[in-house]
Amino acid sequence: MSDPRAFLALDLGTATSSAALIGRLAHRWRLLGSLALPAGIDPDAISREVVRRAVAADPALARAVGLIEGATGATGATGAASAAEPGGRPAAVSFANPPRLVARSVPPRTILVCAANARAREPFLDAARATGWRTRDASADRTNPLELMRALLDPEVGVLLVGAGDPPGPDERRLVDELAAIVSGAVARRPDLTVILAGGMADQLSRLEAAGGGDRRGEILLGPAATAGDPAGSALRDLLEDVRGGSNDPRRAAGRAASALADVLDRRVELLEIGFDGGVRASASPGIGGGEPATMVSIVADAALVPPDPGDAIVDRVMAWTTISLDRHRLRDRLRELRLSPWGGVTGDGARLRLAAARAAMAILVEATPGQSALPAPDLVVVAGGAFASAPGPAIALAVADVVRRPGAVAVAYDHARLMGPLGMIPDGGERRQAISDLVDDMLAPLGTIAIPGGIRAGTSAGRLTVHAGINASETDLVPGSLELIDLPPGETAIAEFHFRDMVRLGTRGRRFAVDVSGGLGGLLVDLRDVPLRMPERAERRRELLDAWQESLWMTRDR
Amino acid sequence: MSTVAKQPAIGGPATAGLELVGRRPVVGSPIEVIFRLAPGDRPLVVAGDALVAGAPIAERLRDPGVTELAANATEETARAGDRWMGTAPGGPRLRRGSAAEAGELLFENGGRWTLAGGEHTEPVESPLSGVVRDVRPGIGITVRAQGRVLHGVEALGDPTSGRLSLGSDRGDHRHPAGGLRSTSLDVGLAGTILVIGSRVDAEALTRARAMGVRGVIVSGLAGKERRDFLASESRQRAALHRLPPFAVLVLDGALRRPIAGPVAAVLEGLVGSTVALVVDPPALVFDEPGFEVTMPPVDHIRVRSGEHAGREGQWAGLAGMRRFTGGTFLEAGWVAFGGDPPMPIPLADLERFV
Repeated sequence: MSDPRAFLALDLGTATSSAALIGRLAHRWRLLGSLALPAGIDPDAISREVVRRAVAADPALARAVGLIEGATGATGATGAASAAEPGGRPAAVSFANPPRLVARSVPPRTILVCAANARAREPFLDAARATGWRTRDASADRTNPLELMRALLDPEVGVLLVGAGDPPGPDERRLVDELAAIVSGAVARRPDLTVILAGGMADQLSRLEAAGGGDRRGEILLGPAATAGDPAGSALRDLLEDVRGGSNDPRRAAGRAASALADVLDRRVELLEIGFDGGVRASASPGIGGGEPATMVSIVADAALVPPDPGDAIVDRVMAWTTISLDRHRLRDRLRELRLSPWGGVTGDGARLRLAAARAAMAILVEATPGQSALPAPDLVVVAGGAFASAPGPAIALAVADVVRRPGAVAVAYDHARLMGPLGMIPDGGERRQAISDLVDDMLAPLGTIAIPGGIRAGTSAGRLTVHAGINASETDLVPGSLELIDLPPGETAIAEFHFRDMVRLGTRGRRFAVDVSGGLGGLLVDLRDVPLRMPERAERRRELLDAWQESLWMTRDR
Repeated sequence: MSTVAKQPAIGGPATAGLELVGRRPVVGSPIEVIFRLAPGDRPLVVAGDALVAGAPIAERLRDPGVTELAANATEETARAGDRWMGTAPGGPRLRRGSAAEAGELLFENGGRWTLAGGEHTEPVESPLSGVVRDVRPGIGITVRAQGRVLHGVEALGDPTSGRLSLGSDRGDHRHPAGGLRSTSLDVGLAGTILVIGSRVDAEALTRARAMGVRGVIVSGLAGKERRDFLASESRQRAALHRLPPFAVLVLDGALRRPIAGPVAAVLEGLVGSTVALVVDPPALVFDEPGFEVTMPPVDHIRVRSGEHAGREGQWAGLAGMRRFTGGTFLEAGWVAFGGDPPMPIPLADLERFV
């Protein structure tokens, strides 16, 4: 179709398939509806259902965007349904088959990072961890040749990154030859294995090519040193991202969408996505003087909702956030079930468990990206990913406030229709910006604004807050250690005047601040808890505290 | 001859919206089974070989070690993965490591090969019939299995085969409380693969293995039991005299729930037949061409997870967005259990059988 009036944006993840119907109304793209369901369900069925609902809800609009081909009663390209005509009489209609914009997740891949010793290996391992790989590591000085060969021959390992300093350091030189010999032995047996020789290991290329023979399916690539590029390490990261998923990886596409969003809004934007097989943190700043936006994207496989085989460390991390009374064994079982069926068992306490796992994953993502934490605080945080699909908006905002403890005031929004990935797949940068410009109000559900002052001292009162919204003003006492929730509906803006007794950090240091805040499902959340967050050691006390914090923001939960 | 009763197609008014429920195959078509090999293990088959159940396919090396051969110990054409055998009683001079008469060439460094070898081997037998598709020393043997499969979510232990038997006569495998107690096991079950209900503990598993049971099929295996069983399995592998291979096939997950009705029906139909449990992928393989799998009605629904996990009923249409306990809003479908009025269940908790 040369000039479509509607299209479907499909985000086909490992655990979630979603379809968003977008139509052109009054010369701009609008989101007409969306549906997300477990990945096992046929995306065509989900697409049909979204179109069916749009037609049933507003046949005139559906006709305007070309979703209805005619009221013939015949089954159309995607199906048929009864839709109420304006007169109230149902009529059988046939649906059009809108074109599709698809972001399909690439299967997670495992990389084995090898070097002569642990010191040489670490920067390569860091680069792999920041580019979405499931990582394994080995070093020639600590691993015996048989174990190393076993690791290299493991079919789950799809890519091998062998690195050395450029030139190799004195502590590496003795082992580089032996490491290259072992890798050559593995390359000879595994024609499917892609090998990246990085830094000083590039000198071993001829040896590996000779061992590999001519019938290899996997490539042998030369990679830069771990510190090459500007900023340092970017050259290796670019290569690793290309090898893992290429430009069609939806997580990289989400980074591009964040960049376009920053440009459209002229705001610093941070995207935090927690998915089934990893997380994304994208920090984007608008271009200056018509230049391109500056974007830093980290894809961390360890920041998955639940890793494939949750170990003790993961159980501990989730337990630290859970409000459910479970022993370690039962929690591990629940996490394994969550891994097997990420959409299952969300009713009851399942949603809270899922949000605890999402918090743990987000904490891993933040810890793995210290460079992005050191950037100036964003103006807008966009939360995305299937991990939050069943949680109410205000609870998502609290999860962000719990984990991303950065003094400042940020607006928080949720990519409820899962459009960041598909829109990032639009190849032309101009068209991408235009689509996001049209859709920005529809695609982001405003969750509210989080204000986190840093350096609050203990006491009975830290100061006062006055919120001016329109002609109304409300005053709130600021109690150290508390969460203050000020009702501010979506679409409203206000000025929040903070008067602190002592010097605090809220973007800058000071006692008096006037901050523009925007409303959302959670309103204005003034978080006067410690930065970083300190929690009681005793599990029972910690659960009570977490529960109390969630109580005020999980409006719909059972009481 | 078709061995699967056909289901009617989805599309009628009674099945509207059913396509939004996840599908679970009751039985699958033939699969490729992988038998993992480690460096030093010796494959005994080549691609294209036809296998019968019980045929040895490899020798697994116990306690492998590495030996560095002298420069003149190998031929010019030697490649990694090749077998190497000592040629004369004196043999080539070994530079490092213990003496080895045979082994697998690992890598060459400075003109000298390093060998993986050891003294003791144990046979690896194929528990199923099929055709060898690929042999990769140190990596694995791929076999195209003959017969149909019933998939699980996880399998622990080693590939095995045996006569399928229900763990008890009371139909416990269809009951949420069904399980296996270690005291109910006896040597009369030796050589069987037991179908157990919703859960089993590690003690019962280790006792079953000691009694000569060849495998267990269970709906759920808790993490603690899984860890204990794996530790026991690891100790068993280290023992000098190993017991026959034993496997645990987990059909659903970690929590307690009965085996799905259509799956239980297949297992009941296979009682007395010889079946194989394989680990990669986790599945039960059966080669019974005359066995007809009776498919449930197209609107037969099972609740896979959530508060009604394990219950089975009839699809009654889409329910749209609903509020559920815990304060979550989820897409739901109407399901009628028995003669009760339909109730909304989250679509994500449901599965239908194909």
